[in-house]
This record gives sequence, C-alpha cells and structure tokens, in this order.
Amino acid sequence: MPVLQSLLPFLLIIGTATAAPNETGIAFFETKIRPLLAGHCLECHSTAGKTRGGLNLDSRQGWVTGGDSGPAVIPGDPDASLLIKAVRYHDLTLQMPEDGKLPEAEITALETWVRLGAPDPRTTTVSAKKQTGLSLDEGRKFWSYAPLRPPAARPVQNQAWPWTELDHLLLGAAEKAGFLPAPDAPPETLARRLHLNLTGLPPSPTEIDRFVAAAREDRKTAIATLVDELLASRHFGEHWARLWLDMARFAESSGGGRTLLFKDAWRYRDYVIESLNADRPLDQFIREQIAGDLLPAADPAARRRQTVATAFLALGPTNYEEQDKQQLRFDIIDEQLDTIGRALLGQTLGCARCHDHKFDPIPQRDYYALAGILASTRTLFNYTDNVARWIDTPLPLDGPAEAALQAHQTKVEELKHRLQTAKAALTKRTRPVSVGSLAGIVIDDPEAKVVGNWQHSTFSRGYIGSGYLHDGNEGKGTKTITFTPSFPQMGRYEARLAYNHAETRARRVRVTVLHADGEETVFVDQTVPPPIDGRFVSLGTYRFEKDGAGFILIGNAETDGVVTVDALQLLPEDGAAPAPESNAADALVRALEAELKQLVKTGPVRPVAMSVQDAQDPSGTPIRIRGIEKNRGETIPRGFLQVIDHGPARISEAGSGRRELADWIAGRENPLTSRVLVNRVWARLFGSGIVPTVDNFGTTGDKPSDPELLDHLALRFLEDGWSLKRLVRGIVLSRAWQTSAQGSTPPEFFVRAQRRRLDAEQLRDAILLTGGRLQLDYLGPNIQGAGGIDANNTSAQNVEYAYVYADTRRSVYTPAFRNNRLEMFAAFDFADINASIGRRHSSTVAPQALFLLNHPFVLEHARAAAESTRALAPPEQLDSAFRRTLGRPPLPPERAACQRFLGPSPSTEDWAQLHQMLFASLDFRYVD
Amino acid sequence: MMTHPSRRDSLRTLACGFGSLALHGLAAQAHAKSGPPAPRTSHHPARAKRIIFLFMSGGVSHVDSFDHKPRLTRENGQMRQFGDLRSLAKTGTSPEMRVMKPLWDFRQHGESGLWASDLFPEMAKHADDLCVIRSMHTEGIAHGPATLFLHTGSTNFIRPSMGSWIHYGLGSENENLPGFISLSPALGNGGPRNYGNAFLPAVHQGTPIGRAGIPARESTIRNLKPLRPSDQARRQFELLRELNQAQIQTKPGETELEAVAESYELAWRMQTAAPDVLDLSGESPATLSLYGIGQAPTDNFGRQCLLARRLCEAGVRFIQVNYADNSNNPAWDQHSNLPKHGDHAKAVDKPVAGLLEDLKQRGLLDDTIVWWGGEFGRTPYAEKNGTGRDHNPAGFTIWLAGGGFQPGLAYGATDDYGHHAVVDKVHMHDLHATLLHALGLDHERLTFRHAGRDFRLTDVYGKVVPDLFA
Repeated sequence: MPVLQSLLPFLLIIGTATAAPNETGIAFFETKIRPLLAGHCLECHSTAGKTRGGLNLDSRQGWVTGGDSGPAVIPGDPDASLLIKAVRYHDLTLQMPEDGKLPEAEITALETWVRLGAPDPRTTTVSAKKQTGLSLDEGRKFWSYAPLRPPAARPVQNQAWPWTELDHLLLGAAEKAGFLPAPDAPPETLARRLHLNLTGLPPSPTEIDRFVAAAREDRKTAIATLVDELLASRHFGEHWARLWLDMARFAESSGGGRTLLFKDAWRYRDYVIESLNADRPLDQFIREQIAGDLLPAADPAARRRQTVATAFLALGPTNYEEQDKQQLRFDIIDEQLDTIGRALLGQTLGCARCHDHKFDPIPQRDYYALAGILASTRTLFNYTDNVARWIDTPLPLDGPAEAALQAHQTKVEELKHRLQTAKAALTKRTRPVSVGSLAGIVIDDPEAKVVGNWQHSTFSRGYIGSGYLHDGNEGKGTKTITFTPSFPQMGRYEARLAYNHAETRARRVRVTVLHADGEETVFVDQTVPPPIDGRFVSLGTYRFEKDGAGFILIGNAETDGVVTVDALQLLPEDGAAPAPESNAADALVRALEAELKQLVKTGPVRPVAMSVQDAQDPSGTPIRIRGIEKNRGETIPRGFLQVIDHGPARISEAGSGRRELADWIAGRENPLTSRVLVNRVWARLFGSGIVPTVDNFGTTGDKPSDPELLDHLALRFLEDGWSLKRLVRGIVLSRAWQTSAQGSTPPEFFVRAQRRRLDAEQLRDAILLTGGRLQLDYLGPNIQGAGGIDANNTSAQNVEYAYVYADTRRSVYTPAFRNNRLEMFAAFDFADINASIGRRHSSTVAPQALFLLNHPFVLEHARAAAESTRALAPPEQLDSAFRRTLGRPPLPPERAACQRFLGPSPSTEDWAQLHQMLFASLDFRYVD
Repeated sequence: MMTHPSRRDSLRTLACGFGSLALHGLAAQAHAKSGPPAPRTSHHPARAKRIIFLFMSGGVSHVDSFDHKPRLTRENGQMRQFGDLRSLAKTGTSPEMRVMKPLWDFRQHGESGLWASDLFPEMAKHADDLCVIRSMHTEGIAHGPATLFLHTGSTNFIRPSMGSWIHYGLGSENENLPGFISLSPALGNGGPRNYGNAFLPAVHQGTPIGRAGIPARESTIRNLKPLRPSDQARRQFELLRELNQAQIQTKPGETELEAVAESYELAWRMQTAAPDVLDLSGESPATLSLYGIGQAPTDNFGRQCLLARRLCEAGVRFIQVNYADNSNNPAWDQHSNLPKHGDHAKAVDKPVAGLLEDLKQRGLLDDTIVWWGGEFGRTPYAEKNGTGRDHNPAGFTIWLAGGGFQPGLAYGATDDYGHHAVVDKVHMHDLHATLLHALGLDHERLTFRHAGRDFRLTDVYGKVVPDLFA
C-alpha cells in the first residue's frame, strides 16, 4: 500500500493542523494537493480563469468563501465538504472534474488533506470582479422605474398645425430639431390606413367612396365618425386581440417535446376579443388574467370569464413529459415569470434567475420573491403522471342550464350505480373457450414472452385456449409477462386482458400498455370477476402502429395475492362489437351499458377551461443557486420587485399572493405597466415604439426617444380609466398620425407616417376578403376534430399532426398549433408562438415570394376574385379589380401593362393570373 | 439620434436572404445592430466548412452497437441496483434491474481495431474513418427534452437550433439555396423547434424538405414548382415586374420596397436552380446502388443521404438527415422489442456507409463533418424486466467522420456496464462547442443579444475537446 505509507507521517498531525498548519501539512499540500488542483481544477476555478459556479480554488480564501453553493471545504470534515462530495462522484448532480473521475489515489489525497485541516499557504488573492446592475436606489431614478411625470408645455412655431395636445408635443420636438411634419395624407390613403389599423381588414370600394365624399365636406368630422364606427365594430377586438395574444404566447397546443392539444384555449382567445370589444379597463383585464379565480364574481358569466382568463398563466410551451416533476414545476414558474416580465412589465426577469441581474436593479431575491407566488399556485393537475397535464376547471352555467346539467349528472350517477350492481351479479365462467371462437386478435398465454417462473394451470375452468399462468404468489417484482401483438394495420384498438379471478388473487396488478402515443399504466383487481363476459377487463382503447413497438406488460411487483394471466384480446375500435356470451345477467349489463352510453352522449356537457388554482400550502420558495432546481438556498418571502416599491409587500398567508401580485402590476403606482402598455399600442399604430424595444424597459433596452411624450400618454391612459379604445382614438385622431408617408422627416419624430407591411394575418384576411370567401363568424372554437376528444389524452396530438387547414375564417381563429403552423404564417414571420412576442420580425426572404407566386391558396382566391371581376361589364373590370385589391384605380403604367397582359378578350384564367399578381404586388402588401 | 431599423436592415437581410447568401457571414452582419458584431469570417482557422448530421431519433442502443461491454453477457439475467434515472427522477428511488446482454456479437474492425457489433456491418467497414465518442452524456430522460437539448442546447427554454447558430456565424455558400436544411424532420419531439431560429433573425431558420412519414422521393422545397406552364408563369412574372416598377416610382427612395421587389427575382431564379440540386435522376447506377437506392429497406434513407451529399456539394452549411417518425416512441425507441433495432439498422446502415464512401471518393470528407447519433443511448438493463431497453442520457455513443476529426479513434469510456460515462466524459454542450470549433467558431464568442443579454448555443457551459482532432 504505497499510498497509505506515504500518507502516514501526515496522518499523525491532525490534532494541530486546523489551528496552525505546520511545516508537514504545508509540505503535503505542496507535494500532493497543489499539483492536483493545478492539473484538474484551476482551468475552470481560478481568478485568472473562469470562476465557474463562482468558485475559485487558487487561494485559501477561494475555497473558504466557496462558490454559489457555499464553502467548498470544511477543514477537518471531508464528508461535509462539497469539494470532496464532488470528486467522489457519488452524487449525480455534483461530479467534478466534469470530464471524468479522478484516480482513487488522488481522491484519497484530497480527503486526507481536508481531514488534516486543509493546510493551504496560498494567501495572495485577487477578489473576483462581480458584475452587478444598478442598485435599488440608482434604479429608482432610472427613467422606466421612476414615477410618471406630466410634460412641460412645448412652444411651437406653426400654431395652426396641431389639433391635439399630442400634436403640440410632437411638433414641438420636431421643430426643435429642425424638421417639419409631412403633409396630410389623402383621404383614400387614410381610409385604407384606418380600416387596416383598427379592424385589420381593408375597406371595400364603397366604404372608401363614402369616406372620401364625407372628407371632402369636412375632413375632421368624417375621420372622427369613421374612427368611432370602426372602434364599435366587432372586427376591432378581433384585430387588436392579436396584440395581446402575441404577448400572451397564445397557442392551442403545447408544442415542444410531446405536443398536447389545448382544446379549450379558444375560450381564452374569445375572452380577449370580447374584453377588447367591451373596452374592459386594461387594469381589470390584467387582474383577471393573473388572479381571476380569486376575484369575487357577481354571476356565473363573470365566474366563467375570470376562470377562463387565468389560462394566461397555463398556456406556455410546457414540456409535460419532463420526468422530474419538481423540475417541471420550476420550468413552468420560470416561463410564467418570463412572460409576465416581458409582456406586462417590459423586464428581462429571466436574467435574475441564476444571479443578481447584471444590468438592471433586480436582485436574485426579487426573482424568487415572485417565484414564491407562482410556486404557491398550481398549474399542473398533479406531480405524478408520466405525462403531466394542466388543470381543467369546470365552468358554471347560467341558472336554468345549470339546473338541467345537474339533473343530468344525477341521472348518470344513478345509472352507473345500477350498472355496478348488475356487474357484481355476473356469474363465474365454468367452461374453457377456444382462441378461435373469440373476435379480434387474441393471444393466449403460451405466446407471451415470460420472464421469471410462472406456473401453467387449468384448475379454474373458465379459461381461454390452453389454460392460464399464475405467479404462485412468489418472487414479487421478478416476474413479467409481455404480449407483443402484431397489428395488421395502424389503428385504434381496445385492449382486453383475460384473467382468472378469486379471493386469493392480487388486488392491484400493474399492467403497462405501450402504444403509439405513449405509455399508460392500468391496475387490475383480480379479486373481482372480469366485467366483460366474465372473462375480460378492458385496459382502454389506444392507437397502435402497424409493426410498431406496442406491447402490454403484466408484472407481479408490489402485489398482495396471486397474479393470473389468461389471454389478451385486441378489438379494432371501428369493428363490430363481439357478440356477448348470453345469459340474463350479461344481457342486463349490456342493456345498462348501452343506456348509459346513450345518456352521456345526448346529455349536456359541462364546459371546462384551462386554468390555474391556488396551492394548498402557500409559502416562499428557496433561491435556486445558479438557477439549478435542486440547488436550493435561502427561502425568500413572497414579494414583488423592490425597485417598484410602494410599501412593504403584504401577501396574505392564506392565498398564493396572485391577487396581491395582480394589484401590484395593475396598480396606478406601478409606472412600468402603463408605460409598457401605451408604448405597445403606439408601436402598433405608428410602426415603432417611443421605446423601440417594446419588451425591454431595462437598462439594456432602448431609451425612449421622447420620455415626456411617453409619460403624457401613460398619464392620459390612467385618467381615461385604462381604456384601450380611448387610447387608440386619442392617437389616431391626432394630426400627426394622419400625415402622409412622403418626405424625409426621420420616423422617430412621428410626424410622418411610416409605410408598413401587412402582417401574416392581415395578408391572409385581405386575400380571402378580396376573393369574396372570408367567413365572418364571430368567436367560438375552430379546430376541426377537437370537439369530442379528451385533450389530456396524448393521442389528441394527432389532430395537430394531421391537421388540414381548410377554414376561411379570420386568421385570429386559425388553429394556433405550435408544432404544425399554418404554412402562410410560418412564411410571413409568424412561425414561432412559443414565447411572448412584443414585435414580430419583418423579414424579406424568397419563401415569401415563392408562396405568393406558387401556393394553391393564393391561386384559388385569385381565381375567386377573377370570377367576380368577369361578372362586371368589361369597361369596369380593370378598375374594379384594382379598387377591390389595392383600394385605388390603376396608375397609367399599370393600366398599360395590364391591358397588354389581358389582350382583347381575356379569359377567367387571364384575370385570375392578373389578380394573383395584384396580391403579390407591393401596394397590396403595404399600407401607406 | 436613433435610426429607423426596418429599411436598411431589410435590404441587408435580403442581400443575404434565403436565396442570396452571396458572402460568408453577411447574414450575421445584417443584424449586427441587434447584437454585438457577429463574425464575418470565422474566429480561427476552420478545419471544416459544413456538417451533415445523421439524426437517429429515439436513441440507438450503444451497448448493442459501438460500446463493447463483455460484462453484460457474463451477468445476463442477474438483478442489479443500477440507479435507474427515470425512476430516480420520478420517485427518488430505483428498483433492481435485470442485466441484458447485447443481442449482436461484437468484433474488432480495421487497423484501428474498433469494436463494433454486427448490428451495423457496413458502417463497421469504415472503422478507420470514424472518430467514435463513447463517453457522451446529455440532459433529458424523455425524448422531447433530450431531442430539444441535442438541437438547441436547452431542454426547456426556447432557443435557436445549432444549425441556425452556425448559419448565423458563417452564412451560406450558395446564393440560390437555403444554408440550413433539415431533410424529412418529424413534427413530434420538438418539431419545428429543432430547426427553428427562435430569437435569431428569420433568415437563419432551417428549411425543411419533406416531412417524416412522407417518402423522400416526394420531398421538395415548398412552393418551388410553378403550378402553371412555364410560358404562362413567365408572362405573369413579367406583369408583376411592371406593376412593382410602377408602384416603386410613386415612392422614390424606399429601399425596403426595392428589396421586396428583388425577393421576387431571387424566387424566380431559385425555381430553376434548386430543383436541379434536388433531382437525383442524373446520378449513375453505381452511385445509386452505393446508397442502396432501389432496394427495399434502404431506398428511402438512401435517397436522403444522397440528397445530403448533393446539398453538401452545392454549398449548404448544415444538412440534417432525419431517421425519424412523428410518434412519441420514435424510430429507435425499442422499449419492449430490442430485435427491432435490426430492422432500423438495415434501413440506415448501407446508406450511411455509402455516404461516407461517396464523400471520400469526391474529396468532400476532408472539409465536411459527418455526425451520426441519437438524442441519448439505452440502458444496459431490461426495461421493467421485459425485453427492451429504456432511455439512457448518462452514457452513450456517437461518431464523427471527416472534417479534421481523428479517424480510427475511440474516445472516452462508460463504466463496465455501459451505464454512465466515466472516462473523458463529453457532454452534449462539449460536443456543440467542439463542432463549432471545427468550423472555426468560438462557442463563447458566437453570441446574440436578446432580451437584454447575450445568448450562446452552449449557454454558460461547454468545453472544446481538442483530443478529438487529428
């Protein structure tokens, strides 16, 4: 044992080492430990290197202070020292060095060194520079966190130009910089701009004509009238909902790993559309989405609305199949905080997850103060399912409908009770049957794969085929039987297990079904008679692939009696039901089952909503050191961002704190929320924000081009009771918004309109509208085939994978699948709906051009438009085609080109080609 | 004073867009405004120019293919405490598991003496071309998280795919083709996020050709083919040119409008250039046969591999070839029926070997990295004591070939059972860092500023493994 021998001298000095390491201890360090640290550790853990995990091992002070997880070495106590724990490689979450375990001799040397009191002469230490953001006091002075301030009046030279206070501010700034506003936009341009900005749809030629005529009489009145008309239109909510749905990363499936269908997410979309159309104050709107379930509700309609609103927290791209459910909980909390931070506060909260924010005044504590509120909230149904699921909350109905539903539910319960009684009366089978006499695919026990010692028996006579197997009530946990059926074709099959029942049998036999859509575990009680024909119990209906990997596995682990396995039957779901083995008791069971099925099918169904709930044990949550879930530090009391501090956070002990969080976010005292909201609305109307980084109001975002203008808008917004419609109205009735796009005044003065591209939805809606095929149905679900499906059943994802987008409703209703986007949305910068979107990309790429040139959707609706054109008198045709598509007659060179293209007697196909090129042309894709 | 981003940026974006990546790195430069200046050229001299990633979705069993563990045969059937990761993640405890021997015999191959099983006899013939990493480990026990981690470096957050990062760093070499292509990707297990650009500019998104479940012979770039006869399509295109010209004249100086008009010209050129690349009909019978095209089990994957070589020749930067399907138990996911690995092997073995041979013959292997592997490996024990293996992210094998990686090398090791990587461990972050390094990119400097901070493919992790290079 050469290693031990060489250590022997050092082992004798343990007693004194801690107090003052003597020469021998230092010698041990110098000969054994220093080279070891240099060879394996310092590359990542030194002040000259990387300081990974905050830990430096290049000085005594380095390991005394330790890294993010605390001191690395406790002198004298190897078992308590993180460094020793890491090199021992026993803990899966803490293993160092990363690239492989040290030789045993080196591990022993380190243990010895620690036991010796960790003598370490290296005292020279350079304190690591830690980058930190603004302090809280500095932060409170930063423009976005400071209270709102009304602007000083601005002198203007051109007194005649401004119509509103807003115009005064804008003109003042432009004049000061030596710029002039652009001329007023012509009425034709303004008509298209107003319609597209307020409703998302282009105006018809009639609507343009009417407006242009009225504007010739009295421009200001005509505009005000049109604006009020458009704000009152249902299409206003449908268009402006986009702003909110983008922020809320609205989607109708979870996407990511195992995408699951959010069957009821449409209720949230409808809630947003209805709320904006009803001009629900945005502070109330926010409160409902954070804490609607906790707010008082005056009637069932309010309760429904407020429950549906909380889907805001549940709609994230959750990886429900994550196997570590505590990790999953934490991932969900991170995602919720990221969305709340970006969407409502313009903050990059995620930066404070692993450490204090490096730029903004957000300590890591604040992140976990907020996380505690969401940790005290339930977003998952439970923490045990293999594939987790969200919470569906049943919704109350209005008076009579609620009474009818409850009466129906009572009837169903009664019938279920009768059925149970009838099943208990089923007689025990006494005769064997052959495999061939049974329907579907039947696998008898000898054809199964058997692991462990199973005994064959024919003792109880009611078996199938050659007998049955039992485990002799021995060797629990070591025996399994696997059926691996081969399926003639892909499809859904009901799996039924035949077993032999008796009082001595096991009560909870675990059966695992691996099918095309995942894995299900079913428990079978073998002490009761098999409910189907006294032979089978149903394991459920699943999809299996042809030649797929599907199997049914029966194990005897954790069973308290004899486990028996007789045979497996698989019945195609769409096949005829097998004839029952008839006797009176069977017949009664069949009849009651049929009656129950019919009753359930025809009766009313209670609607459910994706939602969150308060957890039972609200409390603060520990800091996760370096953001690693299992690396827990100090527990932080629940609270908010300290930089926006209006008094100590008072969060009730009883609730999650979401109500208080909602009040903090949507309170007048929080300057972030109103600034962020008005800036978003401004950006949507003007094409860019006063703060261009609409999601980032921190120190790394852009500064407002005009801070006083922003505060003016925010203060007005608060005075107007958080009304979106008043805010929009105030902006579009300014003269500045109504300017032309011509000229060269820089856009950040907002006194010259910006030409903007139609987004994916506007483009699709406009093509459908011009083709005459746009269906204007208001609200309601729109996923074909989702109606009868259990959304928490993983097979629901096939609705998404196989989805054919065929409807012609407005784009806001287009199924919002995360893994299977509508191709047009994917091509036109609306591909990714996994995270909150503040501002969409606007890319110019060839796939967009290819889509407009070659996609059947464009061709089809161009043809439809051509048919309408052809129905007109020939002299009107070309003008009408242009006016219906571009909102104006052709320019002279356009007219000439079109006439050349059409020739003397154009066919419908010629017109279709022309209409298609109008869809592809620049003026269709832009609004001036 | 701030400047308006849309006009200038969109013109630049266009200049390096889907159809016109004329210069290396311009793609990155176009968006320099929203992040720190990204490299126009590489950070250091590159060993390779492009990657072909042969993705074996579902997780190939390493202990049945490239990681030889005689102990599994010796102890076959014995119950052992392994510390099953899935059980630990879910319940914190783990039951004993039954050791399961490999179903294919192992033998040594080539001058390097590489151990490989009879599962992949054709690949084994290339033993001296392969740089095998037997000490891989990664994150995520389920397919979704692990597949996303493989592609984006994160199991849960929304992050750009590595192909997008590479395209962002280096741009493309062909003005008529996308620079990042994924052949027959699946809708499941991450779906489009596996080739998505996330917060990187849209020009870096991967272009899917085909989709898992659709035969490779029917796969093409979307909307590439005009639906009308070519003379009509041309007339129509002439009309569009005239309309756009007339409209631009009323708005002088709008560079963005010019850029959009130019995008139609690019699309028009692509319609003629791209189909040639996708068309395999000009390939010789010898080449087709090399890939197993025209033979039942290998035809489909053979076509994908041959297309990958053609895209590689055409200058596409990152080509992913997916052996995948849309189910939750994709392809190699043999939980219950391990012999089925044999069927999958028959479908991919010859095409993969053919691709290596073909690249070598054409001198393309020198500057092309071929990467073969799945999102994780499989357990050395039987799942639930049945007849298959569960997922194993703690230790598994992948191989690299070409692109300056050391041929005939077997790097790192797992424990005696093949359960955990223990010697010279290579984390998926390390593999990402190493691949970027080979392409001349420093994974710590390839960053993009988003939501207030700089993001990387490797987050704050990852170490280049220099020993892998020749």
